[in-house]
Amino acid sequence: MSWSFPKLIPRSAPVILLVLTLAAVTGFAAVSHLVARYNANQQSRGRKLYQRGLADSAANRYDDAIDVFRAALTCDPTNSQYQLSLARALRDSNDPRRLDEAESYLIALWQRAPQDAAVNLALARVAAHRGSIEDATRYYHNAMYGVWNTDPDANRSKARIELIQFLLKKGASDKAESELIALATALPPTPAAHLQTAQLFAQAQDYAGELSQYEEVLRLDPSSSAALAGAGQAAYNSGNYTSARGYLQAAVNANKEDEASNQLLATNELILRNDPFVGHISDVERNRRIAAAFAQAETRLDECGQQKGIDFNTAATPTASPLIALQSLWTEAKPDLTRLRSPAETDLPDAIMDVVFQIEQQTAATCGQPKGVDLALLLISQKREAANR
Amino acid sequence: MSDSLSTSHSPLPSAQPPLSRFRAPRRLFSTLEGVFNEEVFFLILSVFIGIFSGLAVVCFRLAIDWTHLALLGPLPETHSWRLFAVPALAGLVVAALVIHVFPTIRGSGVNQTKAALFIFNGFIPFRTAIGKFICSGIAIGSGQSLGPEDPSLQIGAGIASALGRQLEISREKLRLMAPVGAAAGLAAAFNAPISAVLFVIEEVIGRWSAGILGSVVLSAVSSVVIVRWFLGSEPLFRIPVTTFKRPTELIAYAVLGIVGGLASVAFAKSIGYLRPRLKALPRWTQYFQPAVAGLLIGLIAFLGAPQIMGAGYDSMDQAMHGQYAWKMLAILAVLKIVATTLSFVSGAPGGMFAPTLFIGAMLGGAVGDIERFYFPHLTGSTGTYVLVGMGVLFAGFLRAPMTSVFMVLEVSGNYEIIVPVIVANTFSYLISRSLQDVPIFDLLTRQDGLILPSLEEDRDEAILRVEDAMLPVPNTILSAEEYVDANARRVQDSTEANFLVRMHPTGWNIVSRDQLQRLFLEGKGEHTLGSLLPPQFLPSLYPDLPLDSALRFVNDYPLIPVVNRANSRKLEGVVSRDSVFKRYESDRTPVGG
Repeated sequence: MSWSFPKLIPRSAPVILLVLTLAAVTGFAAVSHLVARYNANQQSRGRKLYQRGLADSAANRYDDAIDVFRAALTCDPTNSQYQLSLARALRDSNDPRRLDEAESYLIALWQRAPQDAAVNLALARVAAHRGSIEDATRYYHNAMYGVWNTDPDANRSKARIELIQFLLKKGASDKAESELIALATALPPTPAAHLQTAQLFAQAQDYAGELSQYEEVLRLDPSSSAALAGAGQAAYNSGNYTSARGYLQAAVNANKEDEASNQLLATNELILRNDPFVGHISDVERNRRIAAAFAQAETRLDECGQQKGIDFNTAATPTASPLIALQSLWTEAKPDLTRLRSPAETDLPDAIMDVVFQIEQQTAATCGQPKGVDLALLLISQKREAANR
Repeated sequence: MSDSLSTSHSPLPSAQPPLSRFRAPRRLFSTLEGVFNEEVFFLILSVFIGIFSGLAVVCFRLAIDWTHLALLGPLPETHSWRLFAVPALAGLVVAALVIHVFPTIRGSGVNQTKAALFIFNGFIPFRTAIGKFICSGIAIGSGQSLGPEDPSLQIGAGIASALGRQLEISREKLRLMAPVGAAAGLAAAFNAPISAVLFVIEEVIGRWSAGILGSVVLSAVSSVVIVRWFLGSEPLFRIPVTTFKRPTELIAYAVLGIVGGLASVAFAKSIGYLRPRLKALPRWTQYFQPAVAGLLIGLIAFLGAPQIMGAGYDSMDQAMHGQYAWKMLAILAVLKIVATTLSFVSGAPGGMFAPTLFIGAMLGGAVGDIERFYFPHLTGSTGTYVLVGMGVLFAGFLRAPMTSVFMVLEVSGNYEIIVPVIVANTFSYLISRSLQDVPIFDLLTRQDGLILPSLEEDRDEAILRVEDAMLPVPNTILSAEEYVDANARRVQDSTEANFLVRMHPTGWNIVSRDQLQRLFLEGKGEHTLGSLLPPQFLPSLYPDLPLDSALRFVNDYPLIPVVNRANSRKLEGVVSRDSVFKRYESDRTPVGG
């Protein structure tokens, strides 16, 4: 069987070129039509696969989702939404090998639309998976200042909160605090937003910031028992025991079953009753508190010694245990108690309480966290140290 | 070979009327015709070839995608009966079509295009292009381990050849149409015009020729423009960050080159061994060979490696982004060699470009991962090794070293890895050459009973130059400014029959002893020799010219001066008919290597 074309084209160069041009235009139009139809079919198929991939992703079936998103992308290779979803599934599949591919998709999307906040957020999460503070911070910031298609304010807040949580997880508290301050200035006036921010301040150990957020919640919702308890805890953690008493008492009153606040209130009371350095007490009361603390320290030291099997009466050298050295210190300081009333001995209260604080701190390190008055004394020592610093 | 590429004057009589014999029906057209000499027309035609090839390749790619979707579905399925049923049944259909409808589509498109250029005066039946389109579409779409590039190349060449015949262009140009179309087809398939141009020059045309380069480039670029218009300008792969920091890391890439070279040899030898044996089987088995190949490939896919089916670009993309552990990469490389060998030797139409890239990618990733495991300080990512691996197999298996380097650069768009690519490809190419004398394309043509020229053989062939046949400067050189009697006295003691004459102010002439004697006897002894010699000067040669250039003169002149390029009056030696022929006799090698 032999195939041959009939000689259709005239033998004149201009005519040939004209005919070829017409043929090219016709071919172009025909292929355009074909490609358009093919693309329409493919896009329809891609949309179905995409929906299936979303369902798989939502059900945490990331391996299936990845296959389906890949198939969707073969139907519509330039679809940004599919690429973004595939990148998210790759990232969330908890397979470190897939992060590279996820990043590759996202970088390609980012190059096309660097202002796209969703892409930047996805890239930030990839960087967070890798533990890169610098990259994550950059992409989270891009996401915060980028273009969101829906609800930009809420999404920006969410992105910043995510960044703060990431920074806290990585131990970058300074950077987290900076972000928290920025977050606090742009919060929506809702108790929930301030409550969440207060918890972030607590994680950053910025108790003043935490307290101010709870106070803001209480301004919006004065009956919020969570805010009362949180404010009490924040005040307590920041050493502001007088304020803590008020908030904790209100929290307990608002919710009798709030056991945590109740316990905290009890400890707070012990602190307030035993702290010799509070300003509103008389000298007599201060000396009484010092003497009581000194006696409590001895008891704590003895208990801890027994717990560790140390007999202070027969112990050989102070280097055998720090507790023995403290016991010597306590014995040396005991005569000083009698001179507390002397107006000339202005440094003596501090000197005696230093011995008490050393004993409480050392016994806490050796024998575990104390309870009751010992815990109160330990917390007073910590507050005192923080104030001195 | 060089004569057949000449674009100026063909030694063969033209079977068709040349384009210059166009009849102009109208005055406007006759005016325009003056503008379109054949060279200009051929360049314009190259653009149209590119456009038509691009359109055809777009349709071809859609056909493969559509077939794949229709037969295997959009999702990769493991452990599905379709995985082996579809390629087996499609293999039966393809075999029937190849045997009964398109018998000319068997074999490599590259070789068929070469054969068209060197043997068939540019003739590629259009039916071959149609057959390649249909059968390759079915074969690749059904999962045979073959790629669309080689069929695209042949579709382009077929379109170009058909167009050239339809337009009745001269035989010279018709012969060149096939490679021009091939470049367009390949460029469209790869979305990489530079690589396509280089490949066609390296593998199809066989040597650089300024006469055709412009047309090849124009057709390649125009076809890529068409493909990008319809299918987008997205590259074949999403290229990850590729790095090359320390020169000492080149050792790692050299190791990859060595491994790639060995894999190339294994791949080429397996095809070279199996293909003639399967062809030698009874004819009825040819109906079943593609089906059996499809069944075995489907079985491999069914057992857990569906990545080896089809061209495999998606899997390469995933390998580039570190989706597979080194063991999986190594397994996929080995299985792809097996699958592609099965597909190709069974006679299923399709190309080996994509499988070659696949094998290289997987091998590169595996070697890179192993190296980085033992030497954690290596900075190259998996993606970098995958990319370099692609070039390594291209250089070692297809033996196209220049194309391999530019292909990686063009695909990756990253020049930072050029040094690793060159190093690895060089090792691969050298290993492959030392262990496998004949490149795969030459091996296939020889198995088909054809001997076609190759650039690799040309490179190895020592070119004879004029200096190789040059005789020493003669003792007696005459001067055109001296009198005849003085010159006659000088030649009395010489035994030579002919003497070179140095002309004034420049140039050379020749006079025989008899001529000089006759002038003397005619009483012209008081005349200067120059005034009596014919005005035409003797042609002169330079020592570095190919010896072929002396052949044009040795029958007309007994002696030809070989002069210095910087000073044409300075004689370096002479060549004669005898000296030239003796040199050729001493260098005789059999045709075909």
